[in-house]
Parts: sequence; structure tokens; C-alpha cells
Amino acid sequence: MINSIKKLVKDFTLSELRGGMKITAKELFNKKITVQYPEEKTPISPRFRGLHALRRYPNGEERCIACKLCEAVCPANAITIESEVRDDGTRRTTQYDIDLFKCIFCGFCEEACPVDAIVETQIFEYAFVGSRDGNDNTKGQFGSIITKDQLLEVGDKNEKMIDQTRLEDSKYK
Amino acid sequence: MADIEIEIDGNIVNAKAGEMLIAVTDREGISVPRFCYHKKLSIAANCRMCLVDVEGAPKPQPACSTPIADGMKIHTQNEKAKASQKAVMEFLLINHPLDCPICDQGGECELQDVAMDYGSDVSRFTEGKRIVVDSDIGALIQTDMTRCIHCTRCVRFGVEIAGIMEMGGTGRGEDMKIEPFLSEGIQSELSGNMIDVCPVGALTSKPFRYELRSWQMNAVSNIARHDLVGSNIYTQTYKGKVKRIVAKDNDSVNETWISDRDRFSYEGLSHVNRLLTPQIKVEGTWKEVEWNVALDFAIRGLANNVFNTHQSDKLGALASNTATLEEFYLLQKILREVGSENIDHRLNVKDLDHAISLESNIKLAGLEGIDHALVIGSNLRLEQPMISHRLRKANLSGASIDVINAMAFDFNYRLNSENIISPSQTAATLAGVLKSVLQNTNIEVPDYLAQIEVSDITTQLAEKLSQSDNSVIVLGEHIINNPQASSIANLVGEIAQYSNSTTLNVSATANSMAANMAGFVPGKDGLDVNAMLTADLKAYILLDVYPQYDFHHSIQAVEALSNDDTFVISLNSFKDDIVSEYSDVLLPIASFYETSGSHVNIEGKIQSFAAAVNAPSDAKPAWKVLKVLADLLELPGFHYADSAQVTSEVMHQSHKQHTHDESIDVKVKRDVNIIWQKSPYAVDVLSRHAASLQATKIGQINSASMNKATAKKLEVAQNDEYLGVPVDINEAVSNNCVFVNANHSTEAQS
Repeated sequence: MINSIKKLVKDFTLSELRGGMKITAKELFNKKITVQYPEEKTPISPRFRGLHALRRYPNGEERCIACKLCEAVCPANAITIESEVRDDGTRRTTQYDIDLFKCIFCGFCEEACPVDAIVETQIFEYAFVGSRDGNDNTKGQFGSIITKDQLLEVGDKNEKMIDQTRLEDSKYK
Repeated sequence: MADIEIEIDGNIVNAKAGEMLIAVTDREGISVPRFCYHKKLSIAANCRMCLVDVEGAPKPQPACSTPIADGMKIHTQNEKAKASQKAVMEFLLINHPLDCPICDQGGECELQDVAMDYGSDVSRFTEGKRIVVDSDIGALIQTDMTRCIHCTRCVRFGVEIAGIMEMGGTGRGEDMKIEPFLSEGIQSELSGNMIDVCPVGALTSKPFRYELRSWQMNAVSNIARHDLVGSNIYTQTYKGKVKRIVAKDNDSVNETWISDRDRFSYEGLSHVNRLLTPQIKVEGTWKEVEWNVALDFAIRGLANNVFNTHQSDKLGALASNTATLEEFYLLQKILREVGSENIDHRLNVKDLDHAISLESNIKLAGLEGIDHALVIGSNLRLEQPMISHRLRKANLSGASIDVINAMAFDFNYRLNSENIISPSQTAATLAGVLKSVLQNTNIEVPDYLAQIEVSDITTQLAEKLSQSDNSVIVLGEHIINNPQASSIANLVGEIAQYSNSTTLNVSATANSMAANMAGFVPGKDGLDVNAMLTADLKAYILLDVYPQYDFHHSIQAVEALSNDDTFVISLNSFKDDIVSEYSDVLLPIASFYETSGSHVNIEGKIQSFAAAVNAPSDAKPAWKVLKVLADLLELPGFHYADSAQVTSEVMHQSHKQHTHDESIDVKVKRDVNIIWQKSPYAVDVLSRHAASLQATKIGQINSASMNKATAKKLEVAQNDEYLGVPVDINEAVSNNCVFVNANHSTEAQS
């Protein structure tokens, strides 16, 4: 009973509306922030999930072992993997494609990976060039489907950044 | 065994006294984790995973080896049970590597599943893990023995089912290893089943290694057409390709096992030799064309050579024994509609005037219940593995088995007697057995047996048959080209009748029971295959025929087919040089698992199956090709929408039978006899193209075995070639007999 009376009073005095307007009024006099992108950039969290990359071990061996857990966990079915027995008897991929149009950048592939092979980097500035399957691979550019070689190239180029972000985030894991 | 009541987790359950607890919980759908227990293997109780709490027992009891008793109260989920299961799980995981990401069993692993329920998140084990060095055990099974949890299922499979103890446990405790005893690796014809029984990734399929995860594939029920059993299988497919074959349970057919031939032959499907496009031969050169062009060309060829000149009886149809029931039926229907009865599938029989005719009248499952068997002329273990397995089961439960063979073979069970008799004396020996049987039962001995002498051997064989309540006579494949084949079959029929035995005729191969059922036999005015080859026919329709492998008279066959004015339509699934040489049209057809159809097994059971995948490229299921061919010939009655309609039509037909010779000839002939066979993994075109099968010991069998005396007579020495096959001097062969097992195409056949 007493509660409904309280609510009635609140509603008719427009208390919530006035609460909101108070913040608006305060912001009117604050200093404005404008980032001059692309000259200026805001800082990015180490957990940012941008373009994918496949990593290598320091000795140059690719990490991916074709366990296909990322393919299984991917909610958008964006990953396609084919595997084989490589000449040295190890389990390796022959194909590792990510359809970036399908990808929703959820980061599940990264989480599922037992060897930290597939990662999402902080790169978000890229364009899709050429045909859909990325056949005419001009340097550092790709179609909507990014292939194993291209993923490895992204990884090779940005290993320092990937390593750094992983290190920064490690204390919270 | 009386029905009793027990209480499981508070629910009253009915069961039979003496049953093992785990059998009851499985039936009731109560989950109890286990590794070493397998319903078809003996109980080992060595993994301890199935511990449950039994009220009154001081300690938890393993469900797999605890017989139930009236009033027993069992808890599978209480604290005591769970705690002990978790403890066992932790113990099992101590030495199991955490390499699931690269393990082929990942996703279908019993250890993985159970660890999800009973395992701990964190390992308390900080010491070093055990590592086992692998040995190469052959082309079919990949080992990673570090993953082994010592459940001994594979060891028990070897001892109890395969009959060869190839795997065994050596060492104790930490040092225990499961390994093959011999450096040559696993050689059993059923070895692939070890992959199925292994609960972890220690034994996995080698041809399938690292290819796919279990969750990526679709499983389609199918029937294997390599032998007379028609084992039930799952074809696991991915992107329109058969990637793996595993066994499907069917207690009345193959229980839960399949032979290696059924399991690994799928590799042949993606062989480069597949015939992919229709081709026609124009002025001696092959041209790839569209289906309609090829079919028109075929029809025109038939019209020119046969119909326009009104010689329909100059058309012949031959098929290999691996065709489906529907294909046999449609092809014979076409021939009969156009007025020819020259139809045959018995390409590998030398003399069709004396062909074997013997009904089988025992069920596969019934073979387990026999108390005596007489096996004549068969290396049963390699030729019909699943039938051999049933006999072995009977043998283990007390049945005695006698053998009459031309050569001593490895049987994986104890024989009561093994009689090595040369082929020319087989008929006489059986006549002796018949005479003994008749004398035992005081029936008058017919005239043709008057001259036959009864020996100790024949009396013993006869006595065994007469004394047994439930005996079976198995007539094997080696007899088909015996000059007295029909007499031998007739004698077996007589012996069976007077000794009250059942018979099992395993002399035919693959799907030939379906050929008989579909009426794929020469009609009254028709010619059999051997007569066709000499009758100068003007046109042939051949269904998946490879002359160098399939015909007994292969040279003669190739000659007859190569005749310039003979028009040959070949429906083939694989390319073959000889076939291209004599054919005028090549129509690519679907191979195993790419077509729907039916298999008829030895007990007459019709098992239909659907196509698991589409045929590659332009190849089409043969039943469709034959239907269209019939439509183009404007024949009535070919309005089928699917193969099931054909099947039902077959089942409403009366069966046509081969005419057969009823006389019995028991004279002993003194010339050298040749038993000519394809080696076990070369029996059909698909197996011949399966690389891993061919790489096994059985796949490499290629020899003409004979004893020293015969070799001297034929003037050959060890490793010489006899009829194109290396000679193997072997005293296990009877006198005056050459036993040929060839794994390649051969031209010279006597």
C-alpha cells in the first residue's frame, strides 16, 4: 500500500526524468573529446578481438595441430579445416580457412585452442580485396576468406604485438 | 534361471539370477561407467571403473563381475559408488597423456566421456608419466600405446574372437605393456575390430589417421557385399566421400564384428582408376561423350548387330557377383524382354555342365548351436571370415569339426581331424563317407557305391555325422572347379539327408545368392557363360566384369569379346585396359556404397541398403543405367521410380534355378588338379583397389602351392612361375594338386 503511494508520487513529480536531465546538464559544461581518427587512435584493450592470426613456436614450427576444436566451437561455422599426416608423422592442417564475412569475432576459437595457435589480434583496419576466396593475394590483403598462409603471415608480422597483449592479459586469466 | 527382483537406486528391477549386474543396468538404461567390460568378450574386471555400492558388502563391487542375487540392493549413484569411481578415474588418468587434440579417438573416446563425468579438473600427479615406445603392427592399425589403459579388450578379442593371440600384456605394474608378440604385426582377418573395441586412442585406424573428427561425418547404415554374409555396417561419410566404415550390431548376421575386407575396402572408392565419364569407341579411338550420346550409340550398336538382323539370341549378358539384386534383375529382364536367355554370372566356373547345386538350410546364428561340422574344400577363415567365426564359437562350446581339404590351412580352432586329400579323390572319399553312413543306418547301398572302399577315415567321418544331433556339412569354394564338382555336391546332399545333417554351401561368392534369386541364370534355350564364349555372339552387355580376374577361361573370354563384329557394352566402375580394348561403349557406374540395392546372404535374407554417397563425376547407379537402357529399347514394364520398386517386383517372382547335373561320378582320376582362386583381398574390384588391404600379409598372398612330388611332375622349382604365379613348394598340399591364390590379374588358366 505504502509502496504504491510512493510510486505514484514519484511518477507524478517526474523524478526520473529530472534525474536524467541532471546528467545532460552536467555534460553540457564538461570538456568535449574528439578523436581525430585515423591520425589519432584510442587505446585498445589487450582483450580486443580483431583480425585472426595463426602463430608459430619460436623455432618456426606452426603451432596448429589440426585438432579442429575451433571449427567445432565456432558458432558461425566460419572455420574450415582439412588435415593430414605430414611427412614427419605429425598431425597438421592442409587447409585452414576463416570466412571473415561469417565470423562474429566472438573469440571462442581462441578460447578453444589448446596450443594458442589461432588468436585474434588488435588489428581491425583491413580491407577485403580481390575475389572471395582471396586468390589474388596482393601483399597483406585478402578476400573475405582468409587462408592458412595469410593467417600465418599475419601472425609472423605481428608476433610481438600478439605476445605483448597475451602477456598483459595473463594476470587476469 | 529364475526371475528375481533386485533394487537398483531405489527402483525394483526384474532380472535373472546369475546375470552380471552390469548387464542388468545396461538393459535398464542405468549408466555405469566401464572400460574393460564388453558384451561380446569375457569378463576381466581389471579396470575397476564400474564399481558400485552393494548393500551388505564391505567394499564397492565391480558391476561387471558381480552376479546378482535375490533381494540385492545396489546403489550406482551414492557417495560411496561415486567416490570410488572418481578414485579409479584419477588412477587411470595418471599415465594417460593429455594429447586429446592430436588423438584420432578424440570425440568418440570412452575415456574422454567418462573423464568429463568422473574426472577431476586438476591433476594431483606431479611425477613423470609413463611412455611406451610403439611398434608398427601393420598397414591397418595405428598404435599409440602410451594412451593404453590396460583394459585388455584387444587381448581378449584376439584370444576369444580372432582366435590368434597377437596382442598380449608383458611386464607388471608400471612396466606393463600391451604389445604384439610377433614383429610381423597383426595378421588376423578380423583385426580391424580391435579398433572398435579399444576404448581409448591406443589402437586407431591407419588409413583414416588424422583425417577427420567423428562429429564431422554422417553415418549411413549399409551392407557390405564382399561375402555371403552381408555384414551390417555404418558408412561414415564427409562431403560426399566414404571416409570410414565401422561395424553395426546385428546379432543374426554379424553380431558386432566385421571382417577387415568389409572395413577397409572403401579406400578403393577414391582410387584414380575409377571410370568417370561415358565413352564410345569411334573408329578405334575412345571419345568421352555425354550420357545420351553414349546410350544412343549403345542402342544403335545393339540394333545393328542384333535386332535388325533378327538374331536376338546372339545377345548375351554377363555380370560379376558383386552386383546388387536389382541390377541382376533388371539386366536379365532386358535380355528376356528382347528375346535372349543368354544370361550368366558364374564366370569363375570352369565346367558348368558339372556345376555345384546345393541348398543351404541353416541360419548363420544357427551355426553356433551345432555340435559337429564337416568342412569340405574351404579355407574358411580367409574366404568367409564371419561364417568361420560362428563355427569357431560352436567349436569353443564343444562342437567337433572335421575338415577335408586339398591343403592344410590355418584354422583358428581345434580340428577333430584334418584330412588332406587330393582333389581327384575328394569325390571318392565322400562316396566312402556316404557308404559308411548308409551302412550305419542299414540302408541299401546303391550300385554306384559298390566299388567304393570304406576306410578308417570315412568310417570315422561318417560316424561323427551320424552320431551328432545337430551337424552341418559346409561345402567350400575350392570344389567349384573340381572336375567332379556336381558329384561332390550331390554326394554332400545325400550324406546330409541320410545322416540328418544340415548343409551350408559357401562355394559361391559375394552376392551370387541375389543372382539366383533374380533369375540371372541362363534360360531353357539360353547359353551359359562358357557356351556363350564359344557361340560367336554378336553383342554383349557386361556388368562390372574384369575378364582377367573374373573369368575362369580368361584368355578365351578376352578373345571372344575382342571379336571385331562383336558389339560390347561395358558397365564398369573402374577403368581396365583389357576392358577398353574389347568394349565399344563404356558406361561408368556406381561402386559399393554409391548405389541403393539389396544383398541376399547365404540364409536367403534380403538386406536392402541406401546409397551412402553419390557416385563420383558422371558415374550413375547401374540399376538406373539399365532402366534407361530398357526405356530406350522401348521395352514395356520398366517404370521404376526407385530401386525399392524393383526389389518388391523381384520378391513376387518365382525363382529360376540353374539346371544341374544329378548324376554322381566317383571315379578317381590321376591327373594334376588345380584349385584356382583369387587371394582373399583380390576377390572383387573394390578390394583390389584398396591400398591398405593390399599392403597386408593376406593382401600379398600370391602363390601356387604344391608339394615336391607335384613340382617334379610339372617340372617347376621354388619361385619359378607356374601359370604366372610364383611357385611355393609346400608339403601341406596334397599330392597331384596345385593350390593357386593369385592377387593380380592372370591370363593363363587351365
